Amino acid sequence: MSDLLKITDLAVDFDTSYGKLHAVRGVSLDIAPGESVGIVGESGSGKTVFSRATMGLLRGSSVHRTGQILFEGTEISSLDSKQIREYWGTKIAMIFQDPMTALNPVRRIGAQMSESLIKRLGMSKSEAKDRAIELLTLVKLPEPELALEKYAHQLSGGMRQRVMIAMAIACNPKMLFADEPTTALDVTVQAQVLELLAELRKELGMAMVIITHDLGVVAGYTDRIAVMYGGEIVELASTTDLFTDTKMPYTEALIKSIPRVDRKRGSELASIEGMPPDPTSNRASCGFADRCPYAVQKCRDEHPQLVDAGNGHSYRCFFPIGGK
Amino acid sequence: MELKNKPLGFKLSTAWLSLCVLMATLGWLLPLPSWQSSDSDALGVPMFSKGHILGTDNWGVDQLSAMINGTRISLGVAVVSVTLGALIGAFLGVMAGYTRGWIDAIISMYFNVTLAFPTLVLLLALVAIFASPDPFNPGTTLPRMVVLTFAITFILIPFLGRLARAATVSWAGRDFVLVAKSLGLKRRTILVQHIIPNVLPSLISVSFLAAGLIIILEGGLSILGAGGDPGSSWGSLLSRNRGDLALTPHTTFIPVAAIALTVMAFNYFGEYLRTGIDNRDSRI
Repeated sequence: MSDLLKITDLAVDFDTSYGKLHAVRGVSLDIAPGESVGIVGESGSGKTVFSRATMGLLRGSSVHRTGQILFEGTEISSLDSKQIREYWGTKIAMIFQDPMTALNPVRRIGAQMSESLIKRLGMSKSEAKDRAIELLTLVKLPEPELALEKYAHQLSGGMRQRVMIAMAIACNPKMLFADEPTTALDVTVQAQVLELLAELRKELGMAMVIITHDLGVVAGYTDRIAVMYGGEIVELASTTDLFTDTKMPYTEALIKSIPRVDRKRGSELASIEGMPPDPTSNRASCGFADRCPYAVQKCRDEHPQLVDAGNGHSYRCFFPIGGK
Repeated sequence: MELKNKPLGFKLSTAWLSLCVLMATLGWLLPLPSWQSSDSDALGVPMFSKGHILGTDNWGVDQLSAMINGTRISLGVAVVSVTLGALIGAFLGVMAGYTRGWIDAIISMYFNVTLAFPTLVLLLALVAIFASPDPFNPGTTLPRMVVLTFAITFILIPFLGRLARAATVSWAGRDFVLVAKSLGLKRRTILVQHIIPNVLPSLISVSFLAAGLIIILEGGLSILGAGGDPGSSWGSLLSRNRGDLALTPHTTFIPVAAIALTVMAFNYFGEYLRTGIDNRDSRI
C-alpha cells in the first residue's frame, strides 16, 4: 500500500522571546489514500502546528522544521512558492476552526467561492458560478443560488462552515485537513457537519485528517486515531483498538473525561489534574509523568520511546495499561 | 442607499457639501463681480443689500464672489491633499504592512521621521522656502496654494500611511487570508481581493476627518500669514477681514460659518462611516 502522505520524524521549533519553543517533537504518521485519521490532543499539544506544517503553511525565519513530509513521494519543503500554490487546494486543502473569521466580511460568498475556481482551474465567470452552486448543493446548503449573493454575516455558523467545506473541496483535493471543524458550532450542528464530511470523503475518495480536542467527536468518523500530547504522538491505534485496548494512561484519562449518558447520576466527571508540559523544555522525562496516576521514578528520569504493539498500534509508555 | 432613510445629519451634511462643490465648480458661471474688483458705490454694505447678497467688505469686494472663489481654493486644497496623501500613504502603508521585513522597516522609519516634525513649523518652513518671492529672481516663485497643497500632502502621507499599515497588518493575520492562501491563491490576489477592500473603509473614514482638519489648518496658517494670497481662501478672507469686525461683522462671520459647517460635515461623514464599520465588525 503506497502512502498518500508520509511524515517521518517531523519536528517544528519556533524562536520566541522565551527561547526555543518545541511545538512538535518528532512525529511520524503515514496516511493512505481515502483514509480518515483523527488527531486528538488538548490545547497546546501541537496538533494545529502539526497540521499547518504538513500543509507547508509555516514559512518564516522564526520557524525551524526538521524531518520529512512526503506527499505522493515529494518532499513539500522542496517546492518553491509557485509549486506549493499548485499543491494547495488541488492536492491538500484545509478547513479552519472558526467559520466566523474564515470568510472575508466585505465580499459576497459567490465572489469568494468562484475566486479559486477562476484563478486555479481557469473557469469562466458563468462556469464558476454553476460550479459554486453545484458545490453548495453538495454540502447541502439550502437555496445555494441565494447564498451566493449573501455576505458572511448573513449566514449562520453551520452554514458558513458548509461554505468553507465547499471552498476547500472546490479543486478536488486528495486530502482534507479539518482543524477543529466543529468546535465553534452548536452541538446539534456539529453532528451534521461531521456527517457531511464523512459522506464527502466517501463520495470524493479524499483522505481526511480531523484535528480535535474532543475524542468523542472523532470516535465515529475515523479509521485511526493519533493522540498527541506535548508535541508528540503518545498513542496511535485503530479507532476500535484505541477505545477497547487502551495502552497509554493519558488516552485512558481522556476517555474517562468524555461525558456519557449512561454515567451514574451525581457522579463526578473525571478530569485530568495539572498542566501540560512546558513546550520550551528539553524533555528528559515522560511528558505526562507529573499528571499520571501510575507514574513511578523511571517515568521522571527517562523519556519513553514509541513502542510498537503490532497491528498498527503504538504507544509511548513504560508501563502500558494491561501490560505485564 | 436611499437618502430619504438617512439621519438628518447625513442629509444636512450632504446638502452643505453639495452646495460647496457646486460653488467651487460652477460658481464662476454666476454673473458676479470679480472677487478682486471693488465697488466704490457700495463700501461695507451689510448682507442682503441690492446687488450684493452677502454684502461687501470695506473695500467694496462682493462677499458672495469672494466666498465662491474661497470655496474653490479651500476645498481644492483639502480634497487634493487628502486624495494624494491617502493614495500615496495607502500604497506605502499597505506595502509595508503586507511585505513586512526590510521594506516595512524603511517605510516605517520614513513615517516616524516625518511625524516627528512639528506640523506647523514644517508647513511654515516649506511655504517660506518654496513660496517666498526671491528678491534676485522674481517670478520663479510657485503659487502659494500649490506649495501649501503639497506641503500638507507631505504631512498627511505618514499620518494616513501608518493607519493603512496597521490595518493591513491586522487584516493580513485574519483566518480568511490563511484560507485564501491554503486554496493556492497568489499573494497579489490575496492583497487586492481580500486585504485592500477591508483596509479602505477605515482609511476613507479617517480621510474625511483629515479633510476637516486641513481646512482648519489652512485657516490657522492664513492668520499667521502663511496661507493663501490675501482674500483668496476662506482662511485668508477671515484673516483679512477680522480687523473690521466692528464695522462689517458679516465679512468675518461668513467665512467662519463656512469653515465650521464644512468641518462639521466632513466630521459627520467620517464618524458615520466609522460607526458603520464598527457595527459591521461587531457582527463578524
